Amino acid sequence: MNVRRIDPYAERIRRNRLHPRHQEFARPAWRWAGPNGVTRIDPHAIGALGPNGIRRIDRSGAVVETQPLASSPIESGPSRRMVVIDDPAGFVMVVPECPEGRLSDHDRDLFGLARQLADGQTLAVTAVTFQGAVAGLEEAGADRWIDLSATVDGDTHDPESRLAALVSVEAAMSPRHWLFADSFPGGGDLGRRLAARLSRSSSHGANARAATRVWQVAEGLALSRAGDRQDIQRELPRILLALPECAKPVSETRHEARLVSIDAAGSKTSDMTAVGVVDLGRVAVDPQQIPLSQAPFILSGGRGVGDWAGFHHAAEVLGASEGASRVAVDDGNMPRARQVGATGTFVFASCYIAVGISGAVQHLQGIAKCQRVVAINRDPGCDMVKRADLALIADGDAVLAAVCERLGQPRAAEPSEAVSEAGSGALSKEERYHDAA
Amino acid sequence: MTPPDAAACPVVALVSSGRHPVSGRPGRAREDARAVEMGLTLAGARLQLVHAGNAEEPVLRDYLGMYHGLDDAAAQGELALLPMTPADDAVLLLATWLAESGCRLVLAGQRAECGEGSGLLPYLLAERLGWTIVSGAATIERIDADRVTLLQVLPQGQRRRLEVSLPCLITVDTLAPPPRQSAFGPARRGRIQVVDGLTAEEDSASGEWRWQPARARPKRLKIVKSGNARDRFRAAAARSSAGGQVLTDLTPEQAADRLIAYLREEKILSEEKILGDEMP
Amino acid sequence: MLQTLLPILIFAALIVGAIGAARRIRLWRQGQRTPVGWARILHMPKRYLNDLHHIVARDKAMAHTHVATAGGFVAAMALAIVVHGFGWRNPILGGLLLAASAVMFVGALAVNRRRIHPRARPFPEKLSKGPWQRLSRSLLAYSVGMFLVSLPLVGIGPVAFGGGVLAIVLLTLVAWGVLELVVGMGWGGPMKHAFAGSLHLAFHRRPERFDDRQAHAGSTNTHDAHRGSRSTALFPLDLTAPKLGVEKPADFQWNQLLGFDACVQCGRCQAVCPAFAAGQPLNPKKLIQDMVVGMAGGSDTGYAGAGYPGIEIGKHQGAPEQAIVPQLVEAETLWACTTCRACVEECPMLIEHVDAIVDMRRFLTLEKGETPEKGAVAIDNLIATDNPGGLDNASRLDWAADLELPRIQTRPEGVDVLLWLGDGAFDMRNQRTLRALVQILRAGGVDFAVLGDEERDSGDVARRLGDEATFQRLAERNIITLSRYRFQRIVTVDPHSFHVLGREYPDFGGKYRVLHHSTFIAELFDAGRLTIRPAERKETVTYHDPCYLGRYNGEFAAPRRILEALGIEIAEMERSGFRSRCCGGGGGAALSDVPADLPGRARIPDMRMEDARATGATTVAVACPQCTAMLEGVVEPRPQIKDLAELVADALVTPASAEPEASVAVSSPSREEEPA
Repeated sequence: MNVRRIDPYAERIRRNRLHPRHQEFARPAWRWAGPNGVTRIDPHAIGALGPNGIRRIDRSGAVVETQPLASSPIESGPSRRMVVIDDPAGFVMVVPECPEGRLSDHDRDLFGLARQLADGQTLAVTAVTFQGAVAGLEEAGADRWIDLSATVDGDTHDPESRLAALVSVEAAMSPRHWLFADSFPGGGDLGRRLAARLSRSSSHGANARAATRVWQVAEGLALSRAGDRQDIQRELPRILLALPECAKPVSETRHEARLVSIDAAGSKTSDMTAVGVVDLGRVAVDPQQIPLSQAPFILSGGRGVGDWAGFHHAAEVLGASEGASRVAVDDGNMPRARQVGATGTFVFASCYIAVGISGAVQHLQGIAKCQRVVAINRDPGCDMVKRADLALIADGDAVLAAVCERLGQPRAAEPSEAVSEAGSGALSKEERYHDAA
Repeated sequence: MTPPDAAACPVVALVSSGRHPVSGRPGRAREDARAVEMGLTLAGARLQLVHAGNAEEPVLRDYLGMYHGLDDAAAQGELALLPMTPADDAVLLLATWLAESGCRLVLAGQRAECGEGSGLLPYLLAERLGWTIVSGAATIERIDADRVTLLQVLPQGQRRRLEVSLPCLITVDTLAPPPRQSAFGPARRGRIQVVDGLTAEEDSASGEWRWQPARARPKRLKIVKSGNARDRFRAAAARSSAGGQVLTDLTPEQAADRLIAYLREEKILSEEKILGDEMP
Repeated sequence: MLQTLLPILIFAALIVGAIGAARRIRLWRQGQRTPVGWARILHMPKRYLNDLHHIVARDKAMAHTHVATAGGFVAAMALAIVVHGFGWRNPILGGLLLAASAVMFVGALAVNRRRIHPRARPFPEKLSKGPWQRLSRSLLAYSVGMFLVSLPLVGIGPVAFGGGVLAIVLLTLVAWGVLELVVGMGWGGPMKHAFAGSLHLAFHRRPERFDDRQAHAGSTNTHDAHRGSRSTALFPLDLTAPKLGVEKPADFQWNQLLGFDACVQCGRCQAVCPAFAAGQPLNPKKLIQDMVVGMAGGSDTGYAGAGYPGIEIGKHQGAPEQAIVPQLVEAETLWACTTCRACVEECPMLIEHVDAIVDMRRFLTLEKGETPEKGAVAIDNLIATDNPGGLDNASRLDWAADLELPRIQTRPEGVDVLLWLGDGAFDMRNQRTLRALVQILRAGGVDFAVLGDEERDSGDVARRLGDEATFQRLAERNIITLSRYRFQRIVTVDPHSFHVLGREYPDFGGKYRVLHHSTFIAELFDAGRLTIRPAERKETVTYHDPCYLGRYNGEFAAPRRILEALGIEIAEMERSGFRSRCCGGGGGAALSDVPADLPGRARIPDMRMEDARATGATTVAVACPQCTAMLEGVVEPRPQIKDLAELVADALVTPASAEPEASVAVSSPSREEEPA
């Protein structure tokens, strides 16, 4: 087989258009205007030859990969245009999810959709939140902001009082549209509750039924996904429950998010009588029982891990779900179901700790959606270190042992003790965790 | 129509025809089957199934095939069928039937796999009946005379415990325990009772809709917006993890400290959680 | 005294034995009624002397022992009835009686020699102890007693035999023997195998298995040759029956119960069972004994052989009207079976273990919904997508996008060969085999076509897992599909599809000529349509017979003919041909969730790979996608696994012309042009 060799000299001439021999080395143009003004494309000239001599064509439109959360603030702050709507013709209510009190990507898409509905009709996009301090509503695209945190406890799951509060907002403002994020058990639940409540009290004819799983709104028609591989196209209903990426988030304008107060006190008292749903709080879930694709916190081990018992112990101490690279699975150190990567499971953890994983391409693809990546590795030059938000160049086994010690739970040194502890650990684990499977 | 005795029928599961994600062939709907599974573990053979729709739907037998492994070995499944056309409104039929059946707990999937599939039906039913509704149940832990304790599915594998007052309607998540196998024998033996005497009304809301085959949703491209070419180029060429921090020459202890500090900073490890774990 | 006591003893034993036999028959009649002709009993002697004898004779010493013991006993007993019973004291008859007793004595000595070995060698694991140990002594007692008692008839021995201690001792010996051999035959002692066994031969559920049903009866004389036809198709289940499958012993057909009772506990099935060898909780011998326990009622404490590995003996009990699983047999035991039929092939009493296991699986799957988890997933996938992997059936031909396989839909005039791809079409490893086969077919100028996405799973897995409903649905749909197209024969690389299409579809109205690709390639060789470049270097190759090709369908020769044509000398494994050991992938056992990684357990493919390693082979030739997958799953280093089609394709000399159509004409001349 021929090895493709790159002549750096020729490359240099190719780049330098002023070089006298440039014409000789230049690659043929892949696109030009034909004699009749028709654009001609030479498919053979597109793209570049990769290292293996295989032609690679990148049509993705961009080279930017997903950005880790820590380093993705909206940088274009000053360049945004300020938009103020003083006298709106009506309102478009957006009820963002705000998981952990922050706007999510889904929420931002929702505001983008709301702006799409509002702009051109001078409607005011109004955010309705149950938590007090929600940052970023201005950039997200809210003109008004109704803060219901005084009426409703934003931290507990109390769909009935939330619904009551929304009903009072409905009564006070009679908005054109309500927008919810269609995800359970958040906006998907609340939106459907409101839809069911409003379907009784008022008759709106054709657009009375809420549209769920809306993924596109264009020319006054909403496109929503139905069952059995069908889409439904219909007139814009009053209530829309939209999927992620239903619209582009607002990126060019900035809005005032002016606080509006609503008298929702009456609803609060009236609904105290019959409480149907009581939140008894979160349940501790054994991290090992959570399916890997849903796990929020993953400790993943690769070839660099030597002490697997210590690894398991560290995962237990940290309360992390265990993951593994393909090598670790092939070597029999971890079960196949725990393999992370394009050939295993794609993970979406908010924190992913990679111990002794050099970062094969498939593995990096598998963790592309993780928000924070920590690498513990001895090789500072490996791809995982480059990908990581925090890279610690050290021996993985030793670091994990030190972590356990720092957290007050060093692993028992003697094997007999370790066994007994493992036994009791398993027992207490059963008591402590609810089976999440 | 003869509504079942209230004592004999404490739990009802709503079932519908599902569609296989790969072949699109009719079968048990994944969530509905889990609802039936949950009902069978709760009420055994006393679980009553209800379906509003086509009386000739063959898939309904698949649900009846789940009546095995129960305390009463000879138990047969029973399904009440409320006949209606796809254009009719199921809410009215089901609400009428449920109100007369005397049951106090209704289980259903979150969303149907065919038809509108909006997931609105349980809410509209609950609203009409004046019942409590809870979505996304993973397990029902306990049932008292007037309350149900259950675990609700949250994102990222988390669970929340809720207490719900009866009568109530509970929708079941795909993360609930997987349904038992549908066996041919019990499916064949189960009884389908067509309930007469209920008149279905046409669903007025869906009249104007246009149905079309689902289109693939466009993938969102990462678009770098910037005023000038230089910024766009920089944004495109920059390494994705520009903020990545690489710490070298650490002792394991230092590295451990840094890791713990980072995890606390990002609120992944909390002080109380560690304390909680230390408790025997 | 003897002359008065002996007739009483003999006739009393016969009468008591007959009463016992009648009770035994009542037990069998608890089973389901199947109409059988009584005239069939006439087949029995020939079946015994021919079919049964040849299977026993695979173990020469044992055959001789059995001929001597059984023949001696039958003769001695018959003569004793005449001489002692009816008192016809003829010296000639007496001499014959003495001779028969002597022969029996020699046989009994051999039986004892096999069983009683204090130190020289360990007791054979496959044999049962308990009553069977006693039987060996009873045989001695009877032969010695009868011999001495009959001595006076020819004038030898003490004349004054009429009294004294000696007479009592002799009488006791004879009485012991008669009690064990005659009374025990009817009342369920070890000798019941003779009584039940001979009736079982007459009323066997698969009469096609016997020589007398064949046109070419008695054509071969070697013991290893398979007599009769390979009646291996499972019996169709009537899906409208009130109960599907076998829940209780009484749900078996009556002649199945009779078959269980025929078991001699020789343990040959146990010795060949791959699951037993792998330490999985299955032992065919114990299973049949458990069926006997269930039929007669009681517990398995009396069982004196090897049990199911990992399951204690004495904890289970059964009754004719009590569910078998889990009181009598654990479900795990049933799911551990790979349906490889090694036990059936080896059983001298021609008992049908696999039928019984599948019958019980049918109940578990169809009535109780207790298929093991992975198996249930496979069945659900078969229902929803027509393949056990749950993959889009339209992607069945994705691997062949560049091969431009002719579709049968475009050939209304018909084709010679319909290539049945099987579910291996979804498996990347098997796609290599399929590619090799397509290459061979093209080189051989074969007119072939594929069904494409109209092909569905043959239903093999569903049927072995007991889901007869899904199997019949798939079979019906496949038969409807096939009826729409015209073809001469079906060729497939998958022995499971081959078996199901060829042997099991006829019950549902689909009668096709089905060939396994090994048979078809061998035919191409025989017709001189393939040109082969002889192997450059000698390597040791061994061939693994797939169960569903070999034992199920009797095709042992074609694969070997192919290897021979390739110039490969086969290093045969110790267990090959009809004794080939299963790869562990058949019968849904790979989906059974019976864990293989418990202490004391081995994986079946690992054991099979050990067999292959013992030959020193560097390549294992296989002929089944399932075997390929299982054997390739063995940890390296190991011999490489190659399908026959791959071996042939590697050695294929492609004619110079690129057009495949031209190769038919060119193939034979080109053979001469090619340098040898």
